[in-house]
Amino acid sequence: MNRRELMQCVVVLAGCANSGSLRAALSDEQRQFLLDSPSYIDREIGYLSPVRRKIIAAMAETIIPRTDTPGAIDAGVPRYIELMAAQWLNDRERAIFEAGIADMETRIPREFGKPFHELAAEQQRAILEDMESAAGDSTWYELGNVARTFISDAPFICQVKELTVFGFFTSEVGSKEVLRYDPMPMHFDGDLPLGRDDSSWALMMLINRG
Amino acid sequence: MAESQNPDFDAIVVGSGVTGGMAAKELTERGLKVLVLERGRQLRHGSDYLGEHAPPWHLPHHGKPLRELYADQYAVQSRNYAFSEQNRPFWNNDRDNPYATDEGKPFRWYRSDVVGGRSLLWGRQSYRYSEQDFAANAQDGHGIPWPVNYGDIAPWYSHVEKFIGVNGRREGLAQLPDGEFQQPMPWFALEETIKARLAKKAPDVTLTNSRIAVLTEDLPGRAACHYCGPCHNGCSTGSYFSSQSSTLPAASATGNLTLLPDSVVTRLEYDPATRRVSKVLVTSVTGEQRAYSAKVVFLCAGTIASTQLLLHSTSSAFPDGLANSSGVLGHYLMDHPLGLAGMGVFLDNMESYYRGYRPNGLYIPRFRNVGGQDRDADFVRGYGFQTMTFRRDWSMSFNSRGIGAQYKEAMRKPGFWLFALAQFVECLPRKSNRMYLSSRKDRFGVPQVVFDMQWSDNERALWDDAFVQAQRILRAAGAVVSIEGPREMSTPGEGIHEMGTARMGDDPRESVLNGYNQAHDVPNLFVTDGSFQTSASCVNPVLTLLAFTARASDYAATQLAGGHI
Repeated sequence: MNRRELMQCVVVLAGCANSGSLRAALSDEQRQFLLDSPSYIDREIGYLSPVRRKIIAAMAETIIPRTDTPGAIDAGVPRYIELMAAQWLNDRERAIFEAGIADMETRIPREFGKPFHELAAEQQRAILEDMESAAGDSTWYELGNVARTFISDAPFICQVKELTVFGFFTSEVGSKEVLRYDPMPMHFDGDLPLGRDDSSWALMMLINRG
Repeated sequence: MAESQNPDFDAIVVGSGVTGGMAAKELTERGLKVLVLERGRQLRHGSDYLGEHAPPWHLPHHGKPLRELYADQYAVQSRNYAFSEQNRPFWNNDRDNPYATDEGKPFRWYRSDVVGGRSLLWGRQSYRYSEQDFAANAQDGHGIPWPVNYGDIAPWYSHVEKFIGVNGRREGLAQLPDGEFQQPMPWFALEETIKARLAKKAPDVTLTNSRIAVLTEDLPGRAACHYCGPCHNGCSTGSYFSSQSSTLPAASATGNLTLLPDSVVTRLEYDPATRRVSKVLVTSVTGEQRAYSAKVVFLCAGTIASTQLLLHSTSSAFPDGLANSSGVLGHYLMDHPLGLAGMGVFLDNMESYYRGYRPNGLYIPRFRNVGGQDRDADFVRGYGFQTMTFRRDWSMSFNSRGIGAQYKEAMRKPGFWLFALAQFVECLPRKSNRMYLSSRKDRFGVPQVVFDMQWSDNERALWDDAFVQAQRILRAAGAVVSIEGPREMSTPGEGIHEMGTARMGDDPRESVLNGYNQAHDVPNLFVTDGSFQTSASCVNPVLTLLAFTARASDYAATQLAGGHI
């Protein structure tokens, strides 16, 4: 495979697996692997009730809202959180998650008169900020506590925040439309001017451990 | 006897990784019919690197570790920095292929289990040993003298560098000889800033390119690096050296290569009448047993596996292991302690960013005890630093406080620069550091390996010094804040530089191999993986293994042609 073919291969891998002629650049095996691997968030999942699904979506969007760039909902983060809570968290972590979402479901309407997802954005933000303050002594917030897999006793708000941020910046939308995405740079330039509004590159090496 | 007159092959090579691939190439190119036996499964270059370039959103859980599976089946391998969901199929399954350790003496044995072996997963750092490295044992009395000096091996370094493709900067340093380099990879602006400051404030320290086997110029069948980042997921352009991308295709092109995957070598049979290895016994993963014969046998299975095989291949002539009349087989096990000595925060070059994921950092060659003993050093030998430069991003700061648009903005944008120093420390050869065989057997009937290894006071003193020097370097470099890494020494094996258990030397009473990697006791047996190493140096060993393998292959072919084997 020469470099031009390789670039084509990457274009295909980067999200247009059915675009005709480009498919020829992939090996049968790589093509099959892609066909067998749709985006993770396209998987079906029926773990959360409709109400809890709305609460999680509102929490994720509060943490990473749509601004002039897409937000958590645009990037499919709510589905990511539901999939991860159902399939990836261990029993102990899932118990924390379920207690947390149950608390949101009952406490918020009691204290604020409406379910979380129906509150004004400012109110939603204030609630999550209060939850962060209450969780402030968690080891989760310790400086540099990032290069690890997951903190099993992290409070609910930290769980949701971590899954939101990780799910967002490793999503297709977050990688391409919020961060800068260049999976096949071809060259290394160690002195590229950085504008005030420029984003980081997606695909940092640490993400799989993050 | 018919079978010794008409062996199945001219040469059998055990293992298809870094050294097995090079032995196969060099031997087949000299006209020998070669059989390569690989315990791992077949993996086709390129087409089977399924996780290569796979974006995270295509991976289950966006690539997050599968914790239960790893704990159950990859308890050791999953601790490795290069282990990921994109390349998990390359690694050993620890449940199926376990090993043991002495209580209180842990050892990490990272292994691959595919054709290409750890050459697919290695860190690609490629340095020459120096004249001082080859002379160290003779000078300070640790270990035995090397039977080879720098001048003997220098042409072979050149030979393999040209073939595998190493990029680097020429520095003219005695302690890190220059090689045949491709164009060096460019630097971050911050690295240029740091170099200029070190030149003034720490002139004894050289900051240079790490010399890595990644192409910056095309070679036949291989393309220059495209800077996608994670080399260890496999590289279908062959931009980094692996036996898959380089040596095995070259061997195959001669028409002289037979490669059998799924073939576990369980024993070498020795014929006392001829003083030769007469048969190589193989069990397939399905349990089928076979035997092959050859005029010469090259063990390239990796230090631990090759030594395991020799220890297990006992006979009345060699009750303590094949070619072990010296009794040193399995002893003098070495690895490089490695850790994070220090990391600095830099606010220079904040308006300078980068494009491309450079697959390496820079390198600070050994600067302690160079050319003689430093007065303030309470240790012998030295260490080098591999450096890493990165810009803080969301993945390094997501656990900060904040909810909403401001937090999103902070996560989206690059933060300050970080420059880290990772020390690689020379380990002295000591008899008490060893591997031996357990009474427990693996699923192929071979006794499991047990490790008994601990760092010595010299490694500890070097380690402590690295922390002191790292702080001096980071201050001189202009760090606004610098922090120390963990002081606890790495677990033996974590350097993934196992060496020394079948060491070479001139005296057959205290070494297993001669200076051509040939067993003193068994003339048709060569061992060219890290087990031959008489001392460890502080530099990464792979280039040295490749050079010795090429030289041993040339020697074996010549000896065969001359009727001496």
